[in-house]
Amino acid sequence: MSSASRSVLLALAMVGGGHPVLGLPAATVEQDFRGFQRRPPPVIEETKAAYDGRFTFMRLRYGAADLRMMRREPPWAHDYPRADFHFMKILSELTLTRTFDDQGNIRTLDDPDMALFPVAYMSEPGFWTLAEAEAAGLRAYLQKGGFIIFDDFRENHRDNLVRQMRQVLPEARWVPIEATHPIFHSFFEINSLDIEGFYGQAEWTGIFEDNDPGKRLLAVANYNHDLGELWEFSETGYLPVDLTNEAYKFGVNYVMYAMTH
Amino acid sequence: MFDALFKVFFELSPVVFSQGEFRFAASTGSYVAAVVVLVAIGLTVAAYRSGRGRARDRAALAVIRVALLALILVCLFRPLLVVKAAVAQQNFLGVLLDDSRSMQIADYNGQPRSAFIKDELSAPTAGLLKALSDRFTVRTFRFSSAPSRTLEPGALTYGGSQTRLGAALSGVRQELAGLPVAGLVMVSDGADTADAALGDALLGLKAEGLPVFTVGVGQEQLSKDIQVGRITTPKTALKGTTLMVDVVLSQSGFDGQPVTLDVEDEGTLVSTQQVTLPDAGTPASIPVRFTVSEAGPRVLRFRVSPQQGELVTENNAREALIDVRDRKEKILYFEGEPRFEMKFIGRAVKDDGNLILTVLQRTADNKYLRLGVDTPEELAAGFPKTREELFAYRGLILGSIEAGAFTGDQLRMIAEFVDRRGGGLLTLGGPRAFAEGGYAGTAVADVLPVVLDRARVQAKDTVSRLTVKPTRAGSATAVTQLAANEAASAERWNTLPGITAVNRVDAVKPGATVLLTGTDEARAERPLLAFQRYGRGKAFSFLPQDSWIWQMHASIPVEDMTHENYWRQLLRSIVDDVPEQVEPSLTSERVEPGEAATLVANVVDPSFVELNDAVVTATITGPDGQITDLTMSWDGEHAGQYTAAVPTKAPGWYEAKLEATRAGKTVGSTVTHFRAAPGEAEFFDATRHAATLRRIADETGGRYYDAAGTATLADDLRYTGRGVTTVEEHELWHMPIVLMLLVGLLCAEWGYRRVVGLA
Repeated sequence: MSSASRSVLLALAMVGGGHPVLGLPAATVEQDFRGFQRRPPPVIEETKAAYDGRFTFMRLRYGAADLRMMRREPPWAHDYPRADFHFMKILSELTLTRTFDDQGNIRTLDDPDMALFPVAYMSEPGFWTLAEAEAAGLRAYLQKGGFIIFDDFRENHRDNLVRQMRQVLPEARWVPIEATHPIFHSFFEINSLDIEGFYGQAEWTGIFEDNDPGKRLLAVANYNHDLGELWEFSETGYLPVDLTNEAYKFGVNYVMYAMTH
Repeated sequence: MFDALFKVFFELSPVVFSQGEFRFAASTGSYVAAVVVLVAIGLTVAAYRSGRGRARDRAALAVIRVALLALILVCLFRPLLVVKAAVAQQNFLGVLLDDSRSMQIADYNGQPRSAFIKDELSAPTAGLLKALSDRFTVRTFRFSSAPSRTLEPGALTYGGSQTRLGAALSGVRQELAGLPVAGLVMVSDGADTADAALGDALLGLKAEGLPVFTVGVGQEQLSKDIQVGRITTPKTALKGTTLMVDVVLSQSGFDGQPVTLDVEDEGTLVSTQQVTLPDAGTPASIPVRFTVSEAGPRVLRFRVSPQQGELVTENNAREALIDVRDRKEKILYFEGEPRFEMKFIGRAVKDDGNLILTVLQRTADNKYLRLGVDTPEELAAGFPKTREELFAYRGLILGSIEAGAFTGDQLRMIAEFVDRRGGGLLTLGGPRAFAEGGYAGTAVADVLPVVLDRARVQAKDTVSRLTVKPTRAGSATAVTQLAANEAASAERWNTLPGITAVNRVDAVKPGATVLLTGTDEARAERPLLAFQRYGRGKAFSFLPQDSWIWQMHASIPVEDMTHENYWRQLLRSIVDDVPEQVEPSLTSERVEPGEAATLVANVVDPSFVELNDAVVTATITGPDGQITDLTMSWDGEHAGQYTAAVPTKAPGWYEAKLEATRAGKTVGSTVTHFRAAPGEAEFFDATRHAATLRRIADETGGRYYDAAGTATLADDLRYTGRGVTTVEEHELWHMPIVLMLLVGLLCAEWGYRRVVGLA
């Protein structure tokens, strides 16, 4: 086991030590469709971090704002808030990044303050719908230097992601990202992408600035994978440690890359 | 006028009095008469002690009477002025005629200044020359950069591109050495363009007792003129750098008139702006912004179009020489924590072909990410541990990295990077920077332009939200210019979104300049960008932690280049003028064709310690392609300084490639340029400089004359006391002033008596 992996495990132990926001009562858990125990859809507390120079994860909200008709959490909120908090905790423990620890940061794509958080995360882009103002907001965000992570999608969800991103950046092309790309070496050395993802064989694709693989990555998509799910349950022991470990490595590398490239 | 009046009262010219010796030629009768007068004075005093009238009136009348008797007594003693006068035709006289271009200026009664020489000195029968020739053997010299004998003053061309008064005087003094010389006459406008001080030349004349009589031609103020005055440009600049240059404009006769100020780079217009001329006598400094986009030696020309009625149009343009270098300046950026500031600074300058940002990013304890390194070994061991390694960079940026991350020697190295190596240091705000990062009291704190106060360290996560604006100095500096002109730049600063700072700095060092300030939520203002020179280099401090907001903020359009321009300008500024291991300089970037340029090279080793045992060669390529090799020699006075005189022939650019070797190994090499071309200095400040001419005359014992008042010059020259002389005695008792005083005193006594009723 590499020292970096040991570091992740050590950090995982710290996450498991209990987070005040995450310490939900055991009676609330139930089984989900995969047989995992999980809590019923929480009432989403949509907080926005007050920018003060620290880094925080920005989870993008899309679709209907009114959640009353929904049976379960909306797709954008999948794994929120525990995945977000866990990841921030891991990031601050493993790296010297100063992070918000106890504050969610949910914003829509037309929120002018999303510019203050240059790393965005979108869960389940297969359900992503996009208004013109939102497309314009994300376009400017990416062109000016922002970075977006698409997570938790599978099967034909990719078609929707491609379709929606075409509204954002009409000329952009999704291309596979090789394991040699700096994003996989910005903190942890991820030398192989031959990984069984959450939903099957994982694939990593991205959009490069000016469609030039030599330039900056604007977006990365984890097809057939669900880093957020792995982050969310990392302190429960329900999921294999190695898989969780790898999920954090990807997340940390994504943020390190976004902060340095 | 004064001289004529003086002569009416005193019969003699002031020169005779100044050169003469006052004596009495009393005879025996004088002493007898003196006794009589003294008795008369005694009787006067006794008579006025009592009698009619008030005591005050009697005292006044006694004084008048005694003064009258005393004056008679002085006259009885035969006062004389004894003066040495030159014997006619037995003495030489050096006449120096200004042959420079400024003599073409037409402000002498509507004619060129040279008309005075033509009228008065060009022919043997001409007024002044004839008067001089009647008394002396005249030797005529023309001068501009150096004097030369001329037999035909009428053949002067007035084409000299320099006026070196001191060199001319010294030259003629030496030329006439050994001859009986009564003095020198210098006809000039006094506009000295020499670099050397006049004092040395005057010292020689004073030591020899050789008086100089100066004649000033031209007006002390031109009626209608616009002048582009002093311009200070850097000697070198990086290609693509935007420069901000202050152009000083002065004028007479064009108060408040709008004119166009253009900047041309080798004939290509690179800036133009409308300016309103200042009031006469009040020079105005106009900031001009332009970009040097072509590499190589460049002539920049700052020009105001000639206006109708201007007497001198040549001074409407001034040239500056600048060596535009197209090279890659390497800057090391050490960032102590992952944050967006590094990313966006890197993005801002990535398309700048002349800046290379090498990043050492600490991502975790003892874990570093290296970006932009040239070799796998570069920075592999972290921040440089030797001076040679650190001094290879020309700029250094310290991000949010605490002082504790460095060893004591590394902190001293950073200070020496600025002080000794002459590099540029930029410290950025962040939780681990400045006093919050523990820098107070370290060697680095001495270098910084801001004062670090341990007592005012900000609490963790204390953030100030700031609106930023440039100071007066910032408005006039290229670093903080965000638009094409000052007004547009100020407007851009006003509309930029606010940013934050976690460091608190309230004071800057005495020698520091604040370029940007920030106003916090409590409306308190504090410095945000400051710089100072320190040793050979300079240090900048930029306090905010997130200038990247100027790129990302929703109010900033995608195509906006404010953030990019700001950082390019700032990073170019920190590596501006950073010395090489072989650093060239010239005493002047322009010399007159035919003159020698003095080339200077400062040579240091990789740790920037001066080398006195290097072999330094200069390969000179002239404008005609001719190549000359010169060996430069250590000057023996300054550590590491080597000099050589480079002769010039044809006008044009000369390239000097300098190479230093030591023990067979190359220390470094560099290229510089200079130009051989006639200067336009003659037309700047080209009014008559009477003060200079007066100083020459006063310090040497001569006299200054306006061109219109030279009637007494020839006579005055007779009394310099030099050469072959004869002694003249001038009786003074019969001067008109004596008679006037006698009559005046008598009238005064009578009048006083009438007034007080004692008549």
